[in-house]
Amino acid sequence: MRNNSGGMSEQHQAELAKWVHDARKPLNRISMQAELVKMALAGDIPVEKATEALDKIIVSTKDCSALLTDMVTAMTDIDRE
Amino acid sequence: MLTVLLVDDDPEFTEVACTIIEFLGHEVLTAADLSEARDWLTKESFDHILLDFMLPDGSGVHLFEELDALAKRPKVTLITGHPSVRGIIKGLCGPNIDYLVKPIQREDIEATLSGKKAPAAEKTKGVKKYFGHLIGESAPMRELYKLIERVSRTSANVMLLGESGAGKEVVAAAIHEASESEGPYIATNCGAFSKELIGSELFGHEKGAFTGAVGKKEGVFEQAEGGTLFLDEITEMPIDMQPNLLRVLENKVVIRVGGTKTIPVNCRVVSATNRRMEEIAQSKVLREDIYFRLAVFPITIPPLRNRKEDIPLLATHFIDEFNRDNDTRFTWESSQLDTLTAYDWPGNVRELRHFVHRAAIMSDPDKPAIELPKTIESPFAQKQSTTPALEAGRTIEDVEKELIYATLEKVNGNKTLAADMLGISTKTLYNRLHAYGDLSKDDA
Repeated sequence: MRNNSGGMSEQHQAELAKWVHDARKPLNRISMQAELVKMALAGDIPVEKATEALDKIIVSTKDCSALLTDMVTAMTDIDRE
Repeated sequence: MLTVLLVDDDPEFTEVACTIIEFLGHEVLTAADLSEARDWLTKESFDHILLDFMLPDGSGVHLFEELDALAKRPKVTLITGHPSVRGIIKGLCGPNIDYLVKPIQREDIEATLSGKKAPAAEKTKGVKKYFGHLIGESAPMRELYKLIERVSRTSANVMLLGESGAGKEVVAAAIHEASESEGPYIATNCGAFSKELIGSELFGHEKGAFTGAVGKKEGVFEQAEGGTLFLDEITEMPIDMQPNLLRVLENKVVIRVGGTKTIPVNCRVVSATNRRMEEIAQSKVLREDIYFRLAVFPITIPPLRNRKEDIPLLATHFIDEFNRDNDTRFTWESSQLDTLTAYDWPGNVRELRHFVHRAAIMSDPDKPAIELPKTIESPFAQKQSTTPALEAGRTIEDVEKELIYATLEKVNGNKTLAADMLGISTKTLYNRLHAYGDLSKDDA
C-alpha cells in the first residue's frame, strides 16, 4: 500500500469518496421530502402527502445510518489488508 | 412554462423533484440514465435539462456533445454530489454552466429554472460607477458628481470633509480620474507618520540626511508630479511641520530633507479630514493659512445615512466584488436589502462593506443565500448612538427606558440576563416592561 504525505492511502481515499457519494443520496432524499412536507403545510399539496414524506424521511435516516456502519466496516477491512 | 428533462438514477428523488417542478408550473420528463435521456432528446425538445453528474451508464457530461448538435440547445444544470466537482466541470465545459449541489432544496430548483441567478449577475455588472469609482444615484451623490466635474476642470486644491468611512479616498481617486491628468495618483496618510518621518515622506530626503537614510528618496510631492496627491488625515499632521507644507503649497517647490536644491513640483493636492469645518477652526489642528491653501474648493461627502437609497446599490456591488474574488454566487433577497437600508451605518460605506463581506464569509459558499446576522452592530455604532442620548433636558424615566431596551437587545431579549446586567431584580424589570405596556408582546 502506498502512502501519501497526508497519511491516508489512495485506496482509502477512493473508497471513502465512494461512500460519501452514496451517503449523499439518502441526504438528498431527506432534503427533498422535507420540501414536500413544507408544501403540504402550506396547503400546496394534500396534507396526507406530508405523512408519506415524513415516513420516507425516517427510512432515509435509517438507510444513511446503515450506510455509515457499512462504511466503518469496509474501511476497517482495508486497514487490515 | 418550461419543458424540463430531469436525468437522475434515484427514483425517489426524481419523483419528489417532479412534484416540485410541476408545482412551479413547468412540464417535466424524467430519465434514469444516459440512454433514456438520449431517447427523450430525439423525441422532444427541452428548455432545460437537470443532469446528474454520475449516472449508471456514464457521466452526465457525455451528453454535452449531443446537446451541442441539437437545433435548440437546452440550458443545462448539472447536479453533483460534491462541491469540488464544480471546479473540474468548469474546466471541461467553461464557466457558462449552472450547478446544483446535493442535498438539493426547492429554492435551488426554483432559482435555477427561473434563471434568477443569471440576471442577478448581469444586474451587478450594471451597478454604474461614476468617474470609475463612485456608486450612488441619490440626490446628495448627484450633487457631489457635479462638484467633482467642476473642480476636475481646474487645478484647484480640494479639501474633502466627511465622516470616517464615508469614502474620502475614493472621492479623491474619482477627482484624479475625472481630471484626466497625465501624472499618477499618490496617496499618503499624514496621521500615520511620526514627526521625524513625515518630512521625509512628504518632501523626500537626501542620502545621509539622518541616521538610516542610506539612499536618497523622492517625497510624495515629487512622485505625484503632474498628477494628484492625496493627503489623508491632514488635521493629524504635527502642527510644527505645517509651515514646511505651507511653503511647498505657496512656492510650488520642495527641498528634500538634508538637501539644498529646490525641486519644482506640480500636482493637485486633495486633502481630507473627518473633522467638521467648525471643529478645525476652533481646535487649531490646522493653521489657518494652510486651510485656505488646501481648501480652495471644499467638498463635503454625505454620510451614508443621508443617502440610504444608495445602500442596495452599494451592497450589490460589494457582494459582486466578493463573488468575483471568491468564486461564489451570493445574491441578496429584497427583504435583506430592506434590512440593510433600515440601519443607520454610523461607520458609513466602510462599515457596510465590512458587514457585507463578513456576512458572505459566514454563509454557505455553495448556496446563493446570504445569512445576515440577527443584529447589525459595531462598538463604534454604540458609542455614537449613546452619546447624544445623555443630554440635559431628558427625564430619568426616559433614559431608564432606553437603557432597559438597549440591554434587552444586547442579550437577545433574555430578561434574567438583562436584569442581572442592569443590577435590578427580574421582578423589577418585568414591572417596568409592564408599565411600558410591552410585556404582552413578548411574555404573556
